[in-house]
Amino acid sequence: MVFYILLAFLNGVVIGTSRSINGRLSTEVGAFKASLWNHVVGFLFLSLALLVLGEWMFDTSPAPPLTAYLGGIFGALFVAVNSYVFPRLGAMNAVLLVISGQMISAVVIDALNQNEAPTVTRWLGVAIVLLGVYLSRVSSSARDKGRTR
Amino acid sequence: MIGRSTDWLLAIAGGVLLALMINYNSLLANYTTPMYASWVAHGLGAATALVIIVLYSRAFRSTGKEATPQRAKAPLWFYFGGIPGAFTVILAAITVNSSLTLSGSIALMLVGQVVFGIVSDHFGLFRTPRRRIVGTDFLVALLVLAGSVLITFDGV
Repeated sequence: MVFYILLAFLNGVVIGTSRSINGRLSTEVGAFKASLWNHVVGFLFLSLALLVLGEWMFDTSPAPPLTAYLGGIFGALFVAVNSYVFPRLGAMNAVLLVISGQMISAVVIDALNQNEAPTVTRWLGVAIVLLGVYLSRVSSSARDKGRTR
Repeated sequence: MIGRSTDWLLAIAGGVLLALMINYNSLLANYTTPMYASWVAHGLGAATALVIIVLYSRAFRSTGKEATPQRAKAPLWFYFGGIPGAFTVILAAITVNSSLTLSGSIALMLVGQVVFGIVSDHFGLFRTPRRRIVGTDFLVALLVLAGSVLITFDGV
């Protein structure tokens, strides 16, 4: 159990590392080229991983709906946007704001997928996340003001 | 200030894009495997980014070549962000299938990201600018994480 806890935690660090490096690259080559490199290198890495682990899938029946392939398009846009803001906001702010946007949209997406209104607990979660975003905005503008004075 | 606000909104919009990406990639993974779905998504993502770059350069070619300042060449590891990005899928596949399940994995991954953010800003990891972490930062992190954990663990 402790092993899996550490592994999942480490995975978060790995995600941050990837976004940080992509953000660094975007300041050199631009956000969309950083996204292109991320996807090409990741594609080659996963090709190798699938080959080594023998997880190639040639038979996909039943065939997935066409919408299932939209993830790649949103992924390309996400990496470009995230790479652009990461060096501008700093790792901590970028990570927290992306998580906020992700969590709030997850609530909306789940509600749409299940055709059911979010529970009270989820609304409460959204409210707490928004409070955090608001606080970071307030504290950051206070800091900016202090700097320009 | 206004420039800052745009960055703020863009980062939140990035989170929306990420949630959409995960939604559709999970759908594909239901029909295949998480790793195969991510492989397909990386291929389509590369194609999408390439199309945008080509269209953009076509649209702005008429303005002529701007004299781009000669920069020092970026080190090779700047181009390798895709490796940890793809490795994440493999790690997630392991922990989601453990006793942590999906919600436990997500919560711990969020904590890992935030800790990375704090450490990265403090030390300026990967040649990023250093940024002083203040008390409010911890409060913000606590609120965002607490809200996210409530959302994640509230049985879907």
